[in-house]
Amino acid sequence: MRLQRYILSRILQLIPVILTVIVINFLLIHLAPGDVAITLAGEDADPAYMEEIRRVYGLDKPFYEQLFRYLGQIVQGDLGISYRSREPVLVEILRRVPATLMLVGTSLFIALFIGTWAGAMVARRPGSLLDSAVSTLAVAAYSIPVFWLGLMLVLFFGVYLKWLPISGMYSLVAPKEGLGRAFDVLNHLILPALALSTVWIGQYVRLSRTSVAAVYNEQYITTVRAIGFPSRTILLHHALRNALLPVVTVFGLQMGLVLTGAVLTETVFSWPGLGRLIYDAILARDMPIIMGAYVAMSICVALASLITDLLYAVLDPRVEL
Amino acid sequence: MKVVVGALCALITMVSISMGSVVRAQEVTLIIPQLSEPKTLSPSFAADTGGYHPGSNIYSHLVVMDWGILEGTSAYGDLAKSWEYSPDAKRVTFKLHENVKWHDGEPLTSADVKFTFDTIIANKYTFSSYLSNVEKITTPDDYTVVIDLKVPDVAFVPMQAQAAGWTGKIYPKHLWEGQGGFDKGPYVNNPIGSGPFKFKEWVRGSHVELVANPDYFRGKPAVDRLIFKVVSDKNVARAEFEAGTFPYLPYDYSPPLAEFAAFQKDPNLEVILNGSHYGRDIQLNTAREPLNKLKVRQAIAFAVDRDAMSSLAFFGLWKPAQYAIVDTQKKWRNDAAKFPDHDKAKAEALLDEAGYPRKDDGWRFELSVTNPTFSGSVGIAEVLVQQLRAVGIKANWDKYDNSTWYSKMGERDFDISVYFTRYAPDPDAYSEHFGTGGGRNFMGYSNPEFDKLAVAARAETVFEERKKYYQEMQAMLVRDLPYINLFNVLQPSLLRPGWTGFNVQPSGFNKSITWFGYSSVKPPQ
Repeated sequence: MRLQRYILSRILQLIPVILTVIVINFLLIHLAPGDVAITLAGEDADPAYMEEIRRVYGLDKPFYEQLFRYLGQIVQGDLGISYRSREPVLVEILRRVPATLMLVGTSLFIALFIGTWAGAMVARRPGSLLDSAVSTLAVAAYSIPVFWLGLMLVLFFGVYLKWLPISGMYSLVAPKEGLGRAFDVLNHLILPALALSTVWIGQYVRLSRTSVAAVYNEQYITTVRAIGFPSRTILLHHALRNALLPVVTVFGLQMGLVLTGAVLTETVFSWPGLGRLIYDAILARDMPIIMGAYVAMSICVALASLITDLLYAVLDPRVEL
Repeated sequence: MKVVVGALCALITMVSISMGSVVRAQEVTLIIPQLSEPKTLSPSFAADTGGYHPGSNIYSHLVVMDWGILEGTSAYGDLAKSWEYSPDAKRVTFKLHENVKWHDGEPLTSADVKFTFDTIIANKYTFSSYLSNVEKITTPDDYTVVIDLKVPDVAFVPMQAQAAGWTGKIYPKHLWEGQGGFDKGPYVNNPIGSGPFKFKEWVRGSHVELVANPDYFRGKPAVDRLIFKVVSDKNVARAEFEAGTFPYLPYDYSPPLAEFAAFQKDPNLEVILNGSHYGRDIQLNTAREPLNKLKVRQAIAFAVDRDAMSSLAFFGLWKPAQYAIVDTQKKWRNDAAKFPDHDKAKAEALLDEAGYPRKDDGWRFELSVTNPTFSGSVGIAEVLVQQLRAVGIKANWDKYDNSTWYSKMGERDFDISVYFTRYAPDPDAYSEHFGTGGGRNFMGYSNPEFDKLAVAARAETVFEERKKYYQEMQAMLVRDLPYINLFNVLQPSLLRPGWTGFNVQPSGFNKSITWFGYSSVKPPQ
């Protein structure tokens, strides 16, 4: 009962948060220069046509009127119509979600598991050669710009070795069905997921290394060591569970970015996801899409932090809801 | 653990590679990269750089032009078999091909052309700029379209031939009538055209696939499947080209010019270095201090060093343009109207005379230089800033994305901007760039004499006589300096040897149906 009330109140808290996000974003986008009428009508356009576009989209109205109109729409669950494609924003966004979830989800889990595991391993012997090597690599991975890493992977695996496809989500030359299609998509997923997860792995390695090392200094670890448990059991059963808390926090925060965390990666690899949609929308000043994506993003972040808090309660007995 | 992951990866790779190599026999697939995603597949209602490729291959046009412009063809018929001007240049009569069918099997007639143009004019769509002179359109029979013009205009056909490639597609009346505009209804993204390829599918964010139209009135294209893949990163497109996915790397994706010397030695590459009917120049905002002073503009004309710019920004490959026209349109050129040679001392002297001596800090005055991101423009701006600074003008480089840049230009909120004047398909293009109130005249240039000559030139049907008007207009531009021409645009593209009929190859000139068309492409034998 208490849990339900807690969840309900948290969800109610979402409403003012999301409204604030919408207003701030609306403000920011309106402050940005650039005119959708020009991107739509083109450089040879008739000025009368551009006026018409502004009128149809209500861009000739005062700012506050546009904002209230938009808020009114949102309350009715209507994210508006894309300026560019004339299709409902919700349709546009939902169409791109699966591809992004596949890429970001895969990368996030790879990063979480490999990063945490590697961090925990080296934390057992801080200062060892392995530790220094892994920590250095982690910092390097964390600092590499993802588009550069992506291009290097493309050059090596795609152009030089010719092992893997370079861009897109599946082969266009010989489209396949069923299982072949699944393998094809998986094959196209390897490079972008590798690029994206490499950048994230660094974070998890450092996080889990620090946090496992800290737990190793706790007295109860000394106790279980003294009892004579094997070091593997100590790590998995005693240390890792407590050390995971900060990892879960970061993972939770990143889950919030799951829809939009891969704009650059998607652009480099021509991955047909939401990040690309947002990128194109920004270049074209397609405000309904940009706003819609921000709304989706803020809901995602809010939900992810809610779930993180709930998970915390499960993992950490000291936390009470 | 590691071993298992590695083995799995290897397995997946092997399975996919072996499956990827199963290509259906004799089917020719051509994948072309394009920078942006289409907005819609209805190109006639809004500018849409992502939609021009699919649109131009699905739909037909009344008249078109392509890179044959480099050899002097300003327009040729697509649906039009022929056209004829009346002696007063106020009426054009088009005869249409009679065996054209829509992709749904219905015949294409003059009624479709009239319906399309009437709709475009009524809704003021982008292409209506090229139809603004239309008085009325009549269709005496199924295969004749007569267009009456308000004022005599021999540029009417070539100017719309160029714009047809972007936004002048002919739509089927029987499907679009009653839809309420070219942006509404079921055919916006399920286009039924009459062009060489039929629409198959559009996977958002990925690609648009077309298939050859076996009933195309010019015959079935040699390419069976034509796929436009959205690749927004130039380096990735290059990698795909290297890996063999694309046989052709269009100039939008041109690798750095520094590499072209090596490309030209590679037997596995056909390097195409085409010119253009576009130039690269700078527009000066003559409404603003101190650019409203002729002496200042003259000083800038002396300050620019095209050769240095070419070697710094273009490895010497871009050819300077010092007349008020580009080399591919030489037949209209006034050899006496030449922008001044680089002379730094002269520039400094003119600025002193104009009342802008160097102050204590060494600067005369401050201004901003901006540019769109089209090919070459960034490099020009970068070097120009330095060349202006060398004569004491404190030039700042303002960088924007194209959308912001367009707004700034539209609001006349700039000092100097790199620009891309076009000199063809008809020299009437001068009036949209330099005529009073012209759509591309951001300079605030207004010269009644110039405007008068432009009107007279439009009504003149004899080449030698027309030429005189345009040569006089060129002289005015070089005298008044609202703009300074800098370069002939170079469009470098890469091709795998053996392929022919691409729109940038002479074998594709005057039969590509717009410079987005691929119907004349043939694979290696």
